Amino acid sequence: MDINKKRIEKMRDLIFQNLMDSYLPFPLDTKLYSSWANNIPNSGDTVIYTSYMYQISGILKRYEALFPKIYRLNIPKRLMTASKFLIKPKDEELQRAFRILKSITSMLSGSGVNFGYLYDQEPYSGALLLESGFIKEYKEYGEKLYSFFNSKGIKNIITVDPHTTNALKRYKDFIDFDIDVKNYLELVKFKGSGNYVIHDSCLYSRAMGMYSDIRNKVNNSGLSIDENYLITSKEMGSCCGGPLSLVSAQDSEEVSRARAEKLLSVNENVLVMCPLCYENLSPYINNIKDLAEVVS
Amino acid sequence: MSYEWDVAINKAILNNSPKVHKILEENPYIKDVASELRETKNRVLDDIDAYISKTQKSVEKLGGHVHIAKDSTEAMEIVKEILGEKRKIVVSKSNVLYEIKLREELENEGMDIWETDLGEYLVQLNKDMPSHLVAPAIHLTKDKIGKLLNENLDSSINENTSAEEMVSRVRKFLMEKYLAADAGITGANAIAADTGSVLLIENEGNIRIDTVLPQTHIAITGIDKIVPTLKDAFNEVIVQASYAGYYPPTYINVTSGPSATGDIELQRVSPATGPKEFHLILLDNGRKEAINSDIRESLLCIRCGRCYFSCPSYKLYGKDFGDSPYTGPTGIMWSAITSKKYDKSMLCMHSGGCKEVCPMDINIPRMIERIKFRYMEES
Repeated sequence: MDINKKRIEKMRDLIFQNLMDSYLPFPLDTKLYSSWANNIPNSGDTVIYTSYMYQISGILKRYEALFPKIYRLNIPKRLMTASKFLIKPKDEELQRAFRILKSITSMLSGSGVNFGYLYDQEPYSGALLLESGFIKEYKEYGEKLYSFFNSKGIKNIITVDPHTTNALKRYKDFIDFDIDVKNYLELVKFKGSGNYVIHDSCLYSRAMGMYSDIRNKVNNSGLSIDENYLITSKEMGSCCGGPLSLVSAQDSEEVSRARAEKLLSVNENVLVMCPLCYENLSPYINNIKDLAEVVS
Repeated sequence: MSYEWDVAINKAILNNSPKVHKILEENPYIKDVASELRETKNRVLDDIDAYISKTQKSVEKLGGHVHIAKDSTEAMEIVKEILGEKRKIVVSKSNVLYEIKLREELENEGMDIWETDLGEYLVQLNKDMPSHLVAPAIHLTKDKIGKLLNENLDSSINENTSAEEMVSRVRKFLMEKYLAADAGITGANAIAADTGSVLLIENEGNIRIDTVLPQTHIAITGIDKIVPTLKDAFNEVIVQASYAGYYPPTYINVTSGPSATGDIELQRVSPATGPKEFHLILLDNGRKEAINSDIRESLLCIRCGRCYFSCPSYKLYGKDFGDSPYTGPTGIMWSAITSKKYDKSMLCMHSGGCKEVCPMDINIPRMIERIKFRYMEES
């Protein structure tokens, strides 16, 4: 497997320039993506922070599919922010994302957590930079992001997906980033029903060590979970294939397919906690749900 | 991913991972020993030169020889000098031997050199590279092995030959090689600085013969294999065997210098029946530099190979996830240390299972992340 470094560098430069120009990795309709919320205060030192991950997860693959074309055609970077590259999700994808975000918000409020929301001013987290190994750009964008949060008086951030959580929590390993970051799963209690197999987010369960806490909360919620050491344990549970997509979309899909097959051998109902895991696995699994869709 | 590889890796995981889990459940002391070993190995890295020096003195006190090689080229020069006119060589499975391209170079010089571990022997016949640190031939199916043996060893072997018959036929062939060998070359699973002992674990019995029958034994290993005491060395081999799924290991070989006897008036006389010469080659090849780098923790790896089976990238790419012999999650670290190759880190999906199963509790995903940074930063 050869790595096309030049293509990766081109993609890095493109994403980085967009982020430094607009706080977004590529053109996004932020008004649309923040329209799920209407009665959350646009103020306060604590905010719920989506980084648009649930809203755009359905279109990420289409952006990724664009990258090789951009590389081959050698399109100048300055043209890449043009509105013609604005990709919109399907309405049902967006409505599902909005329902998930509302469910999370409701669980937070129900657990006594107060928070605001930045609406269409919300910036992207920089997760893609860290996970792709673009450390110089991650640090530089992180400094810009930190200044932005400071300018808004934000001291506490509540994240809703693993990639954003990881990216924000990791900034302090490299730069000054004195903002408390908590994921919503750390803050909420919930109830639900149904029998599932969990596909863990690698970042939540292993990188951030939340495997046992998530299992405890889910098992205490009323949900019934099937386990298999080789498929769902902390040691042997595996990736949805998503992180590989920047290097090889085809290989990424192969991992997704194989993972889905293993999960289905445990239970036909699959539970995820990450919008990207959902996107990668859903083509191969009929009944796949995000946790926030089945608990309240 | 080829169909054959998919079948092979899934079988290997099914046969190995639950077994290791069971070994660790039934023998909880092993995790405690592993934890202690991590601290011990860290102490050695803090003061590596002193431990190399202590090892050297201990081996020489026993009548053995120690050679320090800064890189692969130096290591091979030393090997050739030791071998001199010796042409018949048997070797046992060792990744460091691949690291210095030992077999390849000695074959090119026309030497009669044979891998004696069955898996490695098959890899040699296939003109191939190992697909796993501990199980080098897991990528070869029984049918493929039958074909290899048919073409290279015995034309009566075919796809219907039983595995037992295949093993028996290889054993017969290798026995002739052992008896004729001038030198046995091995790696080392651990080196005790206080006694100068080399510890090797195995199940086949080939290492025992490689280290005893030929009159010269050369052990070649990285400086990362040094531990302070013989007790620590036993700890390392027990942890390695257990996490590889072999508990108890069939054989633990301890070599402390050349053969000797004290049977005449309790006076130590060397050689006795076994080798008359013992050489230990300690290889640096980037390891010392790594001690002072941001991937130092990688050097704690004892190469049990358990991380391979928790890795989605290895399951997908096999030995292409890394640069043979250093493949899999640990291979990404070892390739960075020994050859400054960073590119395959980009295939890591940061799934994190590697860290969960690592006996040394190495934060492998973090190490690979740093290697990714190196790759993207290098021009």
